[in-house]
Amino acid sequence: MFYKILKGIKVLEFGNLVSAPFCSKILADLGAEVIKIEKPCCGDDARRQAPFLEDVPSTEHSGLFLYLNMNKLGITLNPETTTGKKIFRNLLNEADIFVENNFPKRMKQLEFTYKYIRQINPRIIMTSITPFGQTGPYKNYKGCELVNTHMGGVGYISTRDGDASIEPIKYPAHILSFQAGLSAAAVTLGAFYHRKLSGSGANLDLSEQESIIQNLNSATAIWSYVNQIVSREDVMELAPAHILPCKDGYICLTFREEHQWQRFIEVMGHPDWTDNELFKDMWTRAQYWDALKPLILQWTMEHTVEEIYRSSQERGIPVGAVRNAEQVLNDKQLESKEFFIEIEHQVAGKLQYPGVPYTFSEIQRVNPLPAPLLGQHNEEIYCKRMGYTKRDLTKLKEAGVI
Amino acid sequence: MDASFLKGIRVIALTWVWAGPWMGAVLADMGAEVIKIETNQRIDAQRIGKTYKGDRRDLNRAQFNITNRGIKSCTLNLKHSEGVEIFKQLVKVSDVVITNFAPRVLPNLGLDYTALTEVKPNIILVSLPAFGSTGPDKDYVSYAHTIEAAGGFNASFGYPGGEPILSGTYPADPIGSMYGVVGMIGALYYRDETGKGQHVDIAQNEGVTALVPEITMEYVMNGRIRRPMGNRDEIKAPHGCYPCKGEDKWVAIAVATDTEWKSLCRVMGNPDWSIDDKFLDQFSRWQNQDELNRLISGWTKNFTHYEVMHMLQRVGVSAGPSFNVEEVINDPHIKKRGAFIEQKHPIAGKTTVYRSPWKSALTASNPPAPCIGEHNDYIFKELLGMTDSKIVELIDQEVIY
Repeated sequence: MFYKILKGIKVLEFGNLVSAPFCSKILADLGAEVIKIEKPCCGDDARRQAPFLEDVPSTEHSGLFLYLNMNKLGITLNPETTTGKKIFRNLLNEADIFVENNFPKRMKQLEFTYKYIRQINPRIIMTSITPFGQTGPYKNYKGCELVNTHMGGVGYISTRDGDASIEPIKYPAHILSFQAGLSAAAVTLGAFYHRKLSGSGANLDLSEQESIIQNLNSATAIWSYVNQIVSREDVMELAPAHILPCKDGYICLTFREEHQWQRFIEVMGHPDWTDNELFKDMWTRAQYWDALKPLILQWTMEHTVEEIYRSSQERGIPVGAVRNAEQVLNDKQLESKEFFIEIEHQVAGKLQYPGVPYTFSEIQRVNPLPAPLLGQHNEEIYCKRMGYTKRDLTKLKEAGVI
Repeated sequence: MDASFLKGIRVIALTWVWAGPWMGAVLADMGAEVIKIETNQRIDAQRIGKTYKGDRRDLNRAQFNITNRGIKSCTLNLKHSEGVEIFKQLVKVSDVVITNFAPRVLPNLGLDYTALTEVKPNIILVSLPAFGSTGPDKDYVSYAHTIEAAGGFNASFGYPGGEPILSGTYPADPIGSMYGVVGMIGALYYRDETGKGQHVDIAQNEGVTALVPEITMEYVMNGRIRRPMGNRDEIKAPHGCYPCKGEDKWVAIAVATDTEWKSLCRVMGNPDWSIDDKFLDQFSRWQNQDELNRLISGWTKNFTHYEVMHMLQRVGVSAGPSFNVEEVINDPHIKKRGAFIEQKHPIAGKTTVYRSPWKSALTASNPPAPCIGEHNDYIFKELLGMTDSKIVELIDQEVIY
């Protein structure tokens, strides 16, 4: 964990890849005990997602998996078998929260829908996260980061000053799936908090597509009120509001108030062209951006990211540094916040990972535990807690139950 | 709504623009009472944003109505010392204060966490600043664009081989909002167990970095910077967006296995090119994806994006249109899910908002976004027990303003 808040709270995770595992990671980070169920043969599919330690794909080498599943206990279990189902029901009985991201039809086939589960454990909070939710014509459609992003309306409007003759694109990695897991954690905590007073469980139905819609604030507003459809071809209305190259990288200039641009002119040493009528306010600057951009570039290409960033921010100008991974890892601000943490994993060794973006002033932060090896806690859970013997474990494994 | 997750929790919101207000709206969807402190001295930028219907003098413009639905509003001038005192009285009867103002704002008003605990010892303060409330860059001026850049997002975002570009939707804000909710409920739980409140600080830039760990791990593990990849995947192909019938219509298709590839080929009518060695296994498809994408585009352009989605989903291949916002709102599945709600705003009229991204038996159904100061009576008279004459006095003095 990072912060010991949800002491004694038990979470069972029956998830794969990102959304459900990230939801339960957040609960684990806050001190809950999370038992993660993985398929016996090969575990969570995230184990096979890049980046891999030293570019060697292997069950315990995925950076994505190692990050998502820190702080969790890992067991293998095949719920398709009768014994497996029995064990699963046992685990559900003990859990406060159950997080999963399987196809609705699979959960129905396994008889692990909320309707059945609440009979085993009426107080359980069951959080289901799927690409399109538990209801509706697409409920069993196959989603993924690419497809969800586009069906959620974000792909179409990613960026501005774009070109509609080339395809709209998704965001890096799995950011929107992560956002869905985060949203799931938020409402799961709400339902869990409520249970303290009410004693009642809850069934939470999350759709990744709906989580993505959260990002359509502007687009929804514009459509609803002026019936215009935002597109990636739309030109930025204010300028500068762009990422521009500079000597050793890129900076982001986003000026929303005139005094910010005026101050930036001073940072640039007040070149003559800045007095041009065409550039007199943010709207005309946007109108004549094609003329303005190369002029600004003349200056930025002579200066480094740090120079432009620091000298601007010192004057209260909202310039941003476009940081890559190396720069983020070496960033002084993140260093002072101790954002990155080192975790030692049995196979992957000592590595830096992103930590958590929150701090609690009155609680001591503690170091998180590494992600589990495949089946690492089988003995702990099955033998110590459920009373199976070590011999049972061997037989269960041979029979494909675990 | 009688029963809801956070019923009985009162949240005071010193918020503006997006991250703070959206956190408030989500909390309101969970049944919390969220009271936004506003002032005519400095009006929330979204109230006066450029998109609006009707009278341009109205302070209920489009974005505000979507971001702030379900919450209450009172006007209180915190530049006035009496305003600060009244604020403290409100804190006394509340559980949480949330803010996305810059870190110097609350201390400048004499309302930092320590000051708040003097008013209510177990108060919870949740702040959502751009870079966190401590550190050398804490006072840097930022917008969502610069926050996502600092978080490492843009360096890896763009077309393959292309330059970094802005996200277009600026997700740093709603990501911060949800972390705010997580932190707040964690703090509430802790308070109920121990009696102690706290200051939960969410750094928005860290929120972004935490949601793209592959970018960090690529560098940590292999010393490499993850370049912009567009719609491409590390190993899957086809994995992209393909042109369909109509203008600017595209369908996203992602094939993860050989089985799915064969299903796709069948749907395409098993064209000759599909049995070329170049495309027979995942590795070859990935190596030859440029050519593969061109060939698939030759097929998709004969159909609408909906047609392609249904044809491929029917055979277990992940595919879906690149919807524009109107298509999202009008999509039959989205309509069935009730993801968007049509509200009738008293000033602005018909307003389409989206609910929080979950369905549950206990979701508060909430009113439209408030007019500025709409709930002054409720807050000053009912909650704080002020008399009518006192309120008039305060209005005259521009404390209630």
